[in-house]
Amino acid sequence: MNFYTYFQDIGAWPRESRSFWRAYAVGFLLCLLCTASAFYLAISGTLSHTELVLFLFALAFAQLIIQLTCFLHLGGHAESRARLGVFGLAVLVALIIVAGSLWIMESLDARMMPGEGAMEQYMSDQGGF
Amino acid sequence: MRENTQLMVIAEDYSEDRTTLFGFWLYLMTDVVLFASLFAVYAVLRSNTADGPAGAEIFSMPLVATETLLLLSSSFTCGLALLAAQAGNRAKVLFSLGATFILGACFVAIEAIEFAKLVADGFGPSRSGFLSSYFTLVGTHGLHVSLGLLWMLVLMAVIFFRDLSRPIMRKLLLMSLFWHFLDIVWIFIFTVVYLLAL
Repeated sequence: MNFYTYFQDIGAWPRESRSFWRAYAVGFLLCLLCTASAFYLAISGTLSHTELVLFLFALAFAQLIIQLTCFLHLGGHAESRARLGVFGLAVLVALIIVAGSLWIMESLDARMMPGEGAMEQYMSDQGGF
Repeated sequence: MRENTQLMVIAEDYSEDRTTLFGFWLYLMTDVVLFASLFAVYAVLRSNTADGPAGAEIFSMPLVATETLLLLSSSFTCGLALLAAQAGNRAKVLFSLGATFILGACFVAIEAIEFAKLVADGFGPSRSGFLSSYFTLVGTHGLHVSLGLLWMLVLMAVIFFRDLSRPIMRKLLLMSLFWHFLDIVWIFIFTVVYLLAL
């Protein structure tokens, strides 16, 4: 018994004949490039903080997509569509959890922690509590 | 007619493997939600250092870069193991899985050393909110990697003693999905936790 096309047969890999070895090698090299750029940008400190955040997230998402296509063989072929669908849903949930938590907690923080002098201002405006 | 029936049987046969693949994928998606929650906790608590150290003061970038390289390389060798399995080359499967295992074990070892050093310096998880969330997020990932290593070890033993079979191919595929998934989680850990702390 041989398994030359087992991963294609069960829909894990795309059916079209292409070099999977090359997919892994290209994916690996591109990821190395993304990782090296990310570390270089963070350590060199030439960018402002906002720029750095933007670039690092761009590189992280680029690497996410490279790994999804080259290593997990997601997208492209019809067989992976169901997996891509639930992945999209999971990403949506993840974004809502992270962005929602940050939003709520930042807002709470802003309301709970009056800035320097705000309490004195309040006291003098109101004539005490 | 008879050939047709046989084809039907084969197609039906694979549907079970497809279901297993999809089911395991769904498990990975619940892990996405687990890690999203831990990332959210970390994002909220990262500046609550309680007069303890901030990330930039305690993280060692050379170590983190080494960990990243180890895990990325292990993801690559894990893919090579699958290719070798498709080609029916058992020795090469074992060799690639062995390389993956060693790279992954080095990753866990470095992380353990990092954690031990932090705790020894008095910067354990109970020091501040930042450190609690850091240890929980990175520790959960490390625990996943450790379990992946255990799974790999069992698979290697099975492949060493037995010929490749469909159940083994299926387990190999699921293990590789788990492994690649952990590398994807690590991309966001090194970006958000380590690089953005600088």
